[in-house]
Order: sequence, then C-alpha cells, then structure tokens
Amino acid sequence: MAAARGACRAREGVARLQKPPRWGVVAWVPGGARQEAGSGSMTAQTDIEDLIARVAMGDRGAFRSLYDRTSAKLFGVCLRVLSDPAEAEEALQESFVRIWDKAGQYRVNGFSPMTWLITLARNVAIDRRRRLSGAARPAPIEAADLVADTAPGPERQAMARAEAAQLAECLRELPPDRAAMVRRAYLDGDTYAMLAEATGVKLNTVRTWLRRSLMQLRECLSR
Amino acid sequence: MTGPEDTADLPGGAEAMAAEYVLGLLSEDEARRFEAQMAQDPDLRQDVAAWSTYFTTLTDDIAPVDPAPQVFRRIEGALFGQKRPPLWRQLMPYLGGAVAAGLLAWAVLQTDMLQPEAPHLYADLVAEDQGYTLLAHWAPDSQTFMLRRDAGVFPQDSALEIWLIPGPSAAPISVGLMQPDTLTQIPVPDELVARMSPGATVAISREPPGGSPTGAPTGPVLAVGSLGVRG
Repeated sequence: MAAARGACRAREGVARLQKPPRWGVVAWVPGGARQEAGSGSMTAQTDIEDLIARVAMGDRGAFRSLYDRTSAKLFGVCLRVLSDPAEAEEALQESFVRIWDKAGQYRVNGFSPMTWLITLARNVAIDRRRRLSGAARPAPIEAADLVADTAPGPERQAMARAEAAQLAECLRELPPDRAAMVRRAYLDGDTYAMLAEATGVKLNTVRTWLRRSLMQLRECLSR
Repeated sequence: MTGPEDTADLPGGAEAMAAEYVLGLLSEDEARRFEAQMAQDPDLRQDVAAWSTYFTTLTDDIAPVDPAPQVFRRIEGALFGQKRPPLWRQLMPYLGGAVAAGLLAWAVLQTDMLQPEAPHLYADLVAEDQGYTLLAHWAPDSQTFMLRRDAGVFPQDSALEIWLIPGPSAAPISVGLMQPDTLTQIPVPDELVARMSPGATVAISREPPGGSPTGAPTGPVLAVGSLGVRG
C-alpha cells in the first residue's frame, strides 16, 4: 500500500518541473512531508495512518485508540489557541467529531497523518476563538512575538525535523515583524483586520506586505 | 472583508493565496473561490499540503496535555449517542421478554450466535500494476461488508464486482458491486456470513455494467487480498 502511494506521489512530483525542486520533494516524498509531527518514528506514523483508515470504515475501537494516541497533542494545540480549558475541551470534542466524519477524506490531500490531525484541530480552535473574541481588540505586536522562535532547547532539538528547522530558519530571514505576523495568524488566528489594527497600518498594505513575505518564505523553503 | 477587485493587484497571485488559505487569512468568499480553483489545480493542492506541513511545525513546541476523561465520553455521546426511544418501545423488553427469549434461543441454534463477538476482518487489496489500492472490511456486528478505494481510477462503462473466495478450491461468490465514488457498504445475506472468515480471499474483477452476467467472474481481476484480523 505504502509503495503504491509512494510511486503515485513520485509521478506527480515529476510533473512539476516548473516548481523549485525542493518544494516539490518536500510535499510528496515519504519521510519528507509525510514524516509525522511530534514523533520521529515512521512506525508511529504508519500506525496512526492505519487507525485513521479503520476509523474511516466506522471502527469505533480504532477511534478510541486514535483518541488515546493523539488527543493530548491536539488538546495542547487547542489550549494554546484558546487559552481556556473549557473552550479547548469543546474544540477538542468538535475536532474528534470531524475526524470521525472526515476520516475517509484523509488520503486525498497528501498530508501526513499528524499534519492532517493538527491542521483540523487548529482550524476548529481558530474558528472558535474568532467567534468568541468577536470585537475584542487584538493585542499589539510585542517583543514577545518577535522572539517567539529562538534557539531550540535540547529535547526540541532531538525531535527537530527538517521542516521545522527549515521554517524557523526561513522565518528568521524575514523582517521580524512579518515573521511575527505569520506566527500570530497561524497560532492566534489573527485576521488581516486584526493585524492591521495591531500594526496601525492599512489592511491592504498589511496584506501586500504579508503576501510578499509569504512568497519570500516560499522561495527560501524551496532552496 | 476584501472584495475580488481588491485582490487583483496584490503580489504573489494564487501561490501566495495558498499560504493565506492555510493560515486562515482569506475571507469566506475568497476561501470558497480558492477551494474551487484548487479542485482543478494539483499544483495548488500540493502547495497547500506543503504549507500545511511547514506551518504545522509551529505547534512542535506545544506540550501535549491530557484532556479530562469525560471529554471522550462526550464525543462518543455526540457521535453514537442514542435518542431516548418512545415509551412503548421502552416497555417492549418487558412485554415481549418471553417471546424474545424463545426467539433468541431458536436463533442461537440456527446461526451459531453463541460464538462471542466474531472479529472484524480486513483485507488490503493491492495491485500495483493496475494502480489500485483498496481496503476491505467485514463488520460482523452490523453484517456489513465495506470497501474503500484509496487509489485507482474507477473505469468508465464497466462495473467493478467484489468476490469472496472462501477457500483454496472454492468457487468465487459475488458479494456485490463497488460504488464508483463513495465507500461501498453491502449488507451481507446470512448464508454468506459464515464464509467471511480469516484467510478467505477477496478479489475485484472488471465486469460489464450491472455486474457479471454469469454469476462467476468474467473480466480481468484487478486486485486481490486476504481477510485477516487486525490488532
């Protein structure tokens, strides 16, 4: 099964010669993008993939195992986004209901299993945070945002994956306030309106800046 | 938030939009239009997968936290919880108890139901040269045979038929036809249930529309696998 998928991805990679090669490789080769977040082990990744496949077929035992294996990480992400245990529990619950409903779609998007699960939980949590905050004023971009990603600690280093290191390095190439915007959009769910308010710059100007930075980031990641 | 007329002269085009989409920076309207565009464009899908992979690493530093035990019970309740049946249905077990007990005893004798909970069985059906990757699943509790297609193109103008081959010298028995675009779920008749056992072979053949006219496979076999228990 894995071999067939690998072959399929490799073919698609070849079709994308116009793109920087590294970018194509990252997205498709097993062990690149398919290396699991939060675990260095390919066995763990295959296990989780297998559990998702069984959940897609309505296997409740597999659903329980998947929950036991991944809920702590996903709850950590929900807590980080929502900073409120009750809200984070609601988000976690909604995430697993969606995981049950959407497990059958997992394979179509080319994500590694943990990327798929974390992306799903993060999006649920961000939606909830935006609904809750309503008109709340975004905090100004502060020094804390600017230094959020400094040198990794020892355990972090042991787990560090190629993509994490690459992204951190490429974010450091951006002007610090732009890198902070990227982080805030991903981890705090800031919208362009909020970023504009936080920086005191017009919305379309912020958007122009950030899109340029995202293209610069993409170029750096493709190296 | 931002109308289409505002985005036309922004730098980066659809490639920058892929990153904005993953970050959640597009308005609902823009996100819907981007998804429509992405459905037609494998490069954009690949970009979204790559951005998702990179941005997910921003959560690497977030420590796992065990959620309270009742959260899983609430999830199960939301997904599998049963609505309260009407009152007469609640009384049924008492009213019908004697009859039901009699029926159950009869059913047990008829169908070997005493064997406690038959295991779920799975089969990976792989045929690399044909490009098919399928997962078969036999759920004895709901007496349903399921088949999911993970790779491989559903042929136009023909049907894909599922066969069960219970033993080395047994003739293939038709289980049913595969659904072209959804998970295939087939209720299995009682006479076939006993043959859904570990080691039995599951095969897929290409057949004329409507399935094999003879009751046996007539077209080429596209994928094969054997049923087994999974941990």
